[in-house]
This record gives sequence, structure tokens and C-alpha cells, in this order.
Amino acid sequence: MIFGFLKTPAMTPRQLRLKDSALFSTLTPLELKIVDGLMHERRYLTEEIIFDEGEEGQALYLVMSGRVLISRSIDSDVEVVAELSAGSFFGDLALLDNSPRNAQARALDNCELAVFFRADFMGLMETDAVIGYKISLCLARHIGWRLREWMTSGRSQIEAL
Amino acid sequence: MNLMPAQQRSGPVVWSAIIGATCLLLYLMQQVLWLAIPSLFAIILYYILLPPMQRLIRLGIGHNAAALLVGALFLLVVIAGTLTAVFWSPATPTESWQELMVRYLNGGLAFVRATVLSLEQHFPILHDIKLSKMINSRMTAFTETFLQKHLTDILVSIAGWLPSLMLAPFLAFFFLRDGLRFKKFLARAVPNAFFEKTLYLLHEVDQTAHRYFQGLIKLTILDTAVLALGLWAIGVSSPLILGLIAALLAWVPYVGSIVGCVLVVMVASTDAPADPLVAYSAVGVFICVRLLDDFVFMPLTVGRSLHIHPLITVLMIFMGGSVAGVAGLMLVLPLLGVVMVVGETLGRLITNPRLRARHRYAKTLRLRQASADLTL
Repeated sequence: MIFGFLKTPAMTPRQLRLKDSALFSTLTPLELKIVDGLMHERRYLTEEIIFDEGEEGQALYLVMSGRVLISRSIDSDVEVVAELSAGSFFGDLALLDNSPRNAQARALDNCELAVFFRADFMGLMETDAVIGYKISLCLARHIGWRLREWMTSGRSQIEAL
Repeated sequence: MNLMPAQQRSGPVVWSAIIGATCLLLYLMQQVLWLAIPSLFAIILYYILLPPMQRLIRLGIGHNAAALLVGALFLLVVIAGTLTAVFWSPATPTESWQELMVRYLNGGLAFVRATVLSLEQHFPILHDIKLSKMINSRMTAFTETFLQKHLTDILVSIAGWLPSLMLAPFLAFFFLRDGLRFKKFLARAVPNAFFEKTLYLLHEVDQTAHRYFQGLIKLTILDTAVLALGLWAIGVSSPLILGLIAALLAWVPYVGSIVGCVLVVMVASTDAPADPLVAYSAVGVFICVRLLDDFVFMPLTVGRSLHIHPLITVLMIFMGGSVAGVAGLMLVLPLLGVVMVVGETLGRLITNPRLRARHRYAKTLRLRQASADLTL
């Protein structure tokens, strides 16, 4: 038990699914185990609201199963920003600051989400800088990718998550 | 469209509820002091041992094994410290602890008598009202009857407290091992609509307690160092041990400081019975350290952690003392800090119409899904 650090920990099916996500793809099994220990599991029903536009963001959500619709209101219309499936994540800007959410997230199917709370991420940055920088780098790449998408397609997804 | 209402600061209703809940909890804690005091020490231990445990987890050691290792290491340090204190003998043989106590007590009493006599010489009116005679007779009556009347009670109550104090390391171990699991367990019980806010609430409670107890430890170290330096400068014996005892006693507001001061004066007056200046200097040093503590160290350490108005802090200390005695004085501030965070957040959750509407909507969805094939 004490010499557990000598062997590579076996990954659970949940950790394997986390590994499939772009955010955690660079983490080692041990690092993934530490991150998994911090994440919360939530289940949402079809049509249930995950968070509202304007709500103070506290966490990032990772879709483990099901689909999630990201939309926002412009005047009286609702604009669909993205439809996300398993492996995707959203609400990532909440990991960086506590600014209000720019869009609403709603479950399209019954779905299972893993929730990464900002304070846990910040704590991880302090106690485990290697995991912190790996996740931060993936996050920066993701935001960069969205910026490039926006510049080429002209769609304003950049602000929406 | 932003459907979330703007956040408002807590009003008088919420604050009245916070103060009422704190007093009620203090009253309940007074009934289970055997658990409340060890829990307090366990929480302090938890925040001391948490960083090394996190380091071990990072090294690849399992969560349970890391908690076990850190706990065992702490236990070894305590046992080693106790054995050193018991078996370490200085170069010159000394008296037993009972003789030491009696010597310091007599030294302190002699100092009080000498001070009263000197006051009588300077102020004849005190001589006329026979102040020294009165104080002498009262002190004699007190010291003669005190040991006979109360010593057994004190020893029995200390012996009664020991087993429950032994609970502290066990509780700390379980806090370390299962703290995260317990947090997740609590979060699982929360409906989706309130989930993020509740996570934030749990985090804030943890942070408040963390800041408070970490501040308390820093404050104790600073107080010990400064008081030891001051006592060493005026030539009092064992300045470090005295400083540490006085700093630990200061965990109990007001009462602890007075007891600490009496202790320092007793030692100083015994060390130099012919020179009352040493004891007066010790009082001076103690007052200076208390002032430094109240106006510099405390705002820098514990004060920053709770963000409570000083007036409320002082009032709550008095209320804590009247509701739960010395234990109330000790427990009231961390308890108020935690109840304040919980109360303010719950106030915001309950009064948020959008979150309540979302919760009702989710309940309707659940009901609809559960009864989808049950139409009559």
C-alpha cells in the first residue's frame, strides 16, 4: 500500500473517459487519478438547465455521456452557440475567473457530467504545479483554437463559453 | 437575456439569524464539550498535517496510506517529545513539579505582599484602611483552603478530560482520510440548481476555517517569539517555555491573557525576589506584547481571516463567554466565521428566485420522466 508510488496505477473506466477529453489528454495515470479525486459527478435530465447566462461561473463541466446545448439570448432571439457531446467540455472560462456566464447550458439528453470546481483547480495549481500547468496549457490551446475558429468562420463562439 | 438577479449583501434578518445560530450552536456545544474541544484541536491538527499529506499523495502514495503515514509521523514526534520531556534531566538536580509550583506560588504571593506594602508606604490612606492586613488574611485563607478544597476536583477533571483529548488525533486522522469524500458526499445531496453555489459555500467554509486556524498558529509562533525575547532581555528564567505557555493560553480571549500574565509575574518574582523591578518589567513586557498582538499581529493573522467588524467580534466574545463560559470564549470566533459564511450564502440561495424556479422545473422534469408510462 505504502509503496504504491512504485507502480503505475490502473485507470478506472471513468478515468479512461476523462483521458479522452482534450483537457486531460496529457495527464499521466497518477495525475489523472488525483484530478478525478477532485471532480464531482452530476446527472441532468433532458431539458434541465445546467447553468444560466449571467450566473457567476464557479466550475468547468465535462460531458461524460449525453449531449448539451449551449445557447444565448440576443434581444428576444435565442442563438444556438454549440451542441456538445461526450468528451467535450464547457464553462472553461469559469476556471480562469468568476465572471458571469456568457451563455446558457441545457441538457439535450439525459446526461452525465463531471464538474471541476475552480477552487479545486486553483488549489491544484498551488499544490501540484505540474498538473496545473498541463491543464492550463490545454485550456490555453482550446481557447486559441476557438479564437482561430472565430477569425476564420466569423462566428462569435469565442465569447460564448 | 440575463435571468439571474443581482446579488445583494446580507441584511439585518440574515445577520440576526447568524448571531442567533452561533449562540444556539455554542449552547449545544457546551452540552457536548467532551466532543467540541477535541474537535477544535483536531481541526487545528488537520490544517497542520494537510500540506505534508498532499505532498505524499503527489509522490504517488495512496490517499489512505498518506493519511496513515502523516498521522503516524505526528504520533512519533509527540511520543519522542514527551519522552524527552520526561527523561531529560538537566545538569543540576531540580525539585519535583509540585515543589516547583509551590515555590512559584509563594514567590508570586510574596511579590503581591511587597507591592501592597510599598503602596501603603506611598499612600497612607491605604495603610489606614489596613489593605495589606486584609489582603494577607484573604490570601492566607485562600491558599490554605484552596488546595484542600479544590485540588482533588481539579486533578479529577484533568483526568476526566484526558481520554476525550486523546480523541483529537483520531478525529484529525479521519478528517485527513475522509475529508474530501465527506465534501463530495455532502455535494451529492444538493439539487443541481444549487450545486455550484453550494460547492462555493463548502469551499468558503473550508477557507474560512483554514485561514482562521492557520492564522492562530502563526499568531502563537509570533507571540511566543516576541514574549520569549522580551522575558529573556529582562532575565526571566525559561523564557521560551513561558512564552509558549502564555501564547497558548491567549487562545482563550481575555481570560487566557490574564492567566498568562499572572504566570509570567509569578515566575519573574520568584526568580528575583529581592528585585521587584524584574516582575514589574515582566508585566510591562507582557502588556507590550499583548498590545503588539492586538494591534499588529492579530490584524495580520487571525483578523484578516474572518472579515468580521471589530465591534461584532468583541460583542460576540462576551456573548460566547456568557453562553458557554471559557469554552465559549475559545470557540465563538471560529464558529461565528463559519456560521457567517453559511448564513450569508444560504440567504443568497434561498432568496434567489431564478435558482428556486430552476429547482422546481427540474423536479417537474423528474416527475414527468418517472411517470412517463403511467398515464391512466
